[in-house]
Amino acid sequence: MNDHITHHPSEETLALYAAGTLDQARALIVSMHLARCPACREEVARFEAVGGALLEQAPAVAMKADALEVALRLIENERVLPADTAQADPLDDYALGPWRWVGPGVRQRSVSVPEADGIKVFMLKAAPGTRLPHHKHSGYEWTCVLEGAFEHAFGRYGPGDFDEADETMEHKPTVCEGEPCICIVALQGNIRLQSRLGRLLQPLIRL
Amino acid sequence: MNVYCDVMVEFDPARLITRIAATQDREAFAAMFAFYAPRVKAMMMRRGASADRAEDLAQETLLRLWRKAGQFDPARASASAWVYAIARNVSVDIIRREGRAAVWLEEQDEPDDEDLNEPEQHLLIAEREGLVRSTMATLPEEQIRVIRLSFFDGLAHSEIAELLGIPLGTVKSRIRLALQRLRDRLGELQ
Repeated sequence: MNDHITHHPSEETLALYAAGTLDQARALIVSMHLARCPACREEVARFEAVGGALLEQAPAVAMKADALEVALRLIENERVLPADTAQADPLDDYALGPWRWVGPGVRQRSVSVPEADGIKVFMLKAAPGTRLPHHKHSGYEWTCVLEGAFEHAFGRYGPGDFDEADETMEHKPTVCEGEPCICIVALQGNIRLQSRLGRLLQPLIRL
Repeated sequence: MNVYCDVMVEFDPARLITRIAATQDREAFAAMFAFYAPRVKAMMMRRGASADRAEDLAQETLLRLWRKAGQFDPARASASAWVYAIARNVSVDIIRREGRAAVWLEEQDEPDDEDLNEPEQHLLIAEREGLVRSTMATLPEEQIRVIRLSFFDGLAHSEIAELLGIPLGTVKSRIRLALQRLRDRLGELQ
């Protein structure tokens, strides 16, 4: 599966992720990709090594005199957890809403990331062959494909692929034949449909 | 002879974490605490916490270190990189819970990567650690400054631009250049 990932987050995105400075919505989409992409996990590990080196060299700020005592008391009743080899699913921490109809062949479910700065996170399920309306973004739209595939001008996006679109890009995605395509999306602002018909349909497509 | 000095010379955090995991070794924990807690406190203060709050967050980081010691894999990360990632997650979780400007990333465990569990990989990680350190020492001050503001202080690129009074594009290109240099040097390892 990993071999087929051809679209990755940018280096800048992975660096922001490693620094802990991405908003929660985008960080979740990145972590969904990371769970599927060893190469990007390795890249993040490299950036964390940069953070580690900075931490080592940081001027120490003295802890309070009784800090170690406090710490030893804190760990007193804490077990060292056994090594956990199971891969944690980043979605485990979120509640998922029911699938609901948003347009012909397209269903959507919410992901309980607190909405902030007009950013929302949701999953989309689209039937094979569905053409999503030609659209532009008013902010960013980050997508990680979980199942199936879609394609647009920048190529084909299958499981694990990461699509980082911003307001400069126009999108005209089509779901590939075969199985339904399920994606997780962080969307900032609104999607603007480009065609007249699309604009008529806009109120129906409740993204 | 000063025993304390000998201990410092032999400070081997990866081994200490392994000892914590194997035998819940409190002495090893105390040694980790002595080195990392004051540095994590500094990091939390740079990320906007008050001294008292930063003290608590450093405690929280070391507590998580204790709990997660069994998950540390010296083949995957250096000790400092691992502690950094825990501290970063603590800062992100707390800022998120307490709702500073944006909402942030959920803490998650790094998935294990089986094919990295080779003995050679241990060497590679140790080498990487040394290379990261030595390469960072050769970076121009203007680059190391933005790297520090991003990774240590946790500032957004736009905030760094504002702070230094330079264009956003310059912040991004300095970070890109610095990471490129690191990548080139680390690439020589593989």
